Amino acid sequence: MIISGNAAQVGGEGQASQEVDYVVDIRHLSKVFKRRTRSNGYTTFKQALLARLKGRPVGEEKVEEPVTVGIKDLTIRIPRGASIGLIGRNGSGKSTFLKLITGIYKPTDGVVNVRGRIAALIELGAGFHPDFTGRENLVLAGIMHGLTREQITARFDDIVRFAELEHVIDDPVRTYSSGMFMRLGFSIAIHTDPDILLVDEVLAVGDAGFVAKCKDRIAELRRAGKTLILVTHDLDAVERWCDEAIWLHKGEVKDRGNPRRVIDAYRHHIERQEEGALLEEDGVQVDPISTVEPVSEGRQPARWGSREVEITQVSLIGADGSEKRVLHPEDSARVRMSYTVRNAHEDLVFGIGITRVDGLSVFGTNTDIDRVKLPATGATGVVECEIPRIGLVEGSYTFDVAVHRTDGYPYDYHKDAVHFSIRSDKREVGVSSLTRGWVVDGVRCSC
Amino acid sequence: MLGSVKQVWQFRTLVGALVRRHIATRYRGSLFGFLWSLLNPLCLMAVYTLVFSYYMRFNGGPHYHLMVFAGLLPWIWTSSSLVEGTASLVNSGHLITKSLFPPQVLPVVSVTAAMVHFLLALPILAFFSLAAGVSVSWTWLVVPFIVVLHALFLTGIVLGLSALNVFFRDVQHLVGNLLTLLFFLCPVVYPVSVVPERLRFLITYNPFAALTQFYQELLVEGTLPNAGAVLYVAATCCLVAFIGARIHGHYQERFAEAL
Repeated sequence: MIISGNAAQVGGEGQASQEVDYVVDIRHLSKVFKRRTRSNGYTTFKQALLARLKGRPVGEEKVEEPVTVGIKDLTIRIPRGASIGLIGRNGSGKSTFLKLITGIYKPTDGVVNVRGRIAALIELGAGFHPDFTGRENLVLAGIMHGLTREQITARFDDIVRFAELEHVIDDPVRTYSSGMFMRLGFSIAIHTDPDILLVDEVLAVGDAGFVAKCKDRIAELRRAGKTLILVTHDLDAVERWCDEAIWLHKGEVKDRGNPRRVIDAYRHHIERQEEGALLEEDGVQVDPISTVEPVSEGRQPARWGSREVEITQVSLIGADGSEKRVLHPEDSARVRMSYTVRNAHEDLVFGIGITRVDGLSVFGTNTDIDRVKLPATGATGVVECEIPRIGLVEGSYTFDVAVHRTDGYPYDYHKDAVHFSIRSDKREVGVSSLTRGWVVDGVRCSC
Repeated sequence: MLGSVKQVWQFRTLVGALVRRHIATRYRGSLFGFLWSLLNPLCLMAVYTLVFSYYMRFNGGPHYHLMVFAGLLPWIWTSSSLVEGTASLVNSGHLITKSLFPPQVLPVVSVTAAMVHFLLALPILAFFSLAAGVSVSWTWLVVPFIVVLHALFLTGIVLGLSALNVFFRDVQHLVGNLLTLLFFLCPVVYPVSVVPERLRFLITYNPFAALTQFYQELLVEGTLPNAGAVLYVAATCCLVAFIGARIHGHYQERFAEAL
């Protein structure tokens, strides 16, 4: 967790650019993992022995071993006092990068140069022993962090007070809640005089009060000129705290610079990826013609009704006429339903409903509510509901579609027929993104 | 080698704290605490004495039970160090993968904790000696020297084996089985004198056996071991410590990924 940074000297470089004091200096860093599986890695002694007996030196197998590239030719320099936000999807190499900085992993290639003591808020409380009291674990963890006994004694009260554990510090930590556990770990790590603070998603746990306190403390350390490296999926935090964002993608820097710009690019990238994934996922989910569908007892069916009239296809169409899964609040949308009439009926009502992913019913209407006079329908056809402005705040939603009689007798009801997300760069709250404008002292302001 | 010795020295506070925790963990929550670690050698001593002295009428010398006890105590140190030490890196994998933890500390802690148990049991041996009418000889003062050699020897083995065990989990199973064999190659339940002359080399050249013999000579018989034998064992221990530290150092960088 802590490195007393006696950084190895980079071979003979006394260049002029030394005026900037870099605490982290990484050049052409690469990390390759050997994929060790039971079948091809020499994980057991027997296999190593067999390989040797067959006259094949064990070392040779390495060449054939499949490898995973963790980090690819990365060059990053972080000046003292900077705040860097590291963003990227899962598996983009963020954690590998942190483990390389802290020295847990050794680079395959390149140089990692760290000047100063790192406090890694990664695995808080790693190494706590459940049967020992908070006091005992605190002392032990302090020693593991490189503090002397005197330093621990001197800071003991501060650490306990910050963690708000005065009343339970002499209880075994197995009796602690996970929040208390984390608080103790955080408090110890932050009281070790770090020069560099590595924060990896730890603030995702803990109650709001303590998280606020942690953030205050991190802000305080930043003001004191400490370097902050923040790894998180919380893009807002990166935007708020960091001078620079680095976007890692498959072990490479995809983009870096102004947080706002990089985050926007990253959001955009994710949107496009999500669109692809969602379309692939439920594409045309409705099975074409399956007249008699056994409805299993006890489970809420995703589709029900007599099927005298059937909705055979549902799609969400964007302004450009193509299928969409991700929309902006300002976007227009059309819900398109293809139907087939099996028994001629005149009493037809088509309806749609929008549900937020947590089950909140957001909106619902049908042709009866909207007093639409349906023209005489043929055997097959298409009904579309046009929405000029979708007007929802960021989140995940689903569409229900249905065709039924005026009295509610269902012909065909599809629950959650289409999943879609709203992505926005604004941070509106609530459900509905109303159309609005601001007028200050009679002057209309542009948004 | 010197580097890793220096590193362990650097982390001596950590080693100290971990050894204390190690010992405390074992007895936390038990009523008799430390006494439990004495129960095992005492029972073994009783059983061996019963079987060999009374059932088999085997003449193991005048103070057979003391010889057995003096052999058992260092043996228990050896076996628990090897068993725990070999698995120490694998068992504490989370420390190595989640934080920058000096891995060589873990095997050293296993050996040291077992050594503390050994040292704490010595007064019991003294008590039994006095009870049997055997005086505690001045040769007890030489014991620390043998303890240092023994510790060096065990540390070397455990450093090497624990590193190999990260890559081949077979090692820990192998160690457990080999220890059973090794026990009978050490003169614990039999005196060296029953070993035929032409097979004596099995005692002399096996550092485990030779160490057992040294302890028995110093603690029970009150005689000094053969200087040549001690020199040989000292050289072997240093060599083993060196090789073990080298193996450990060689693989150390890859622990975090392999665990």
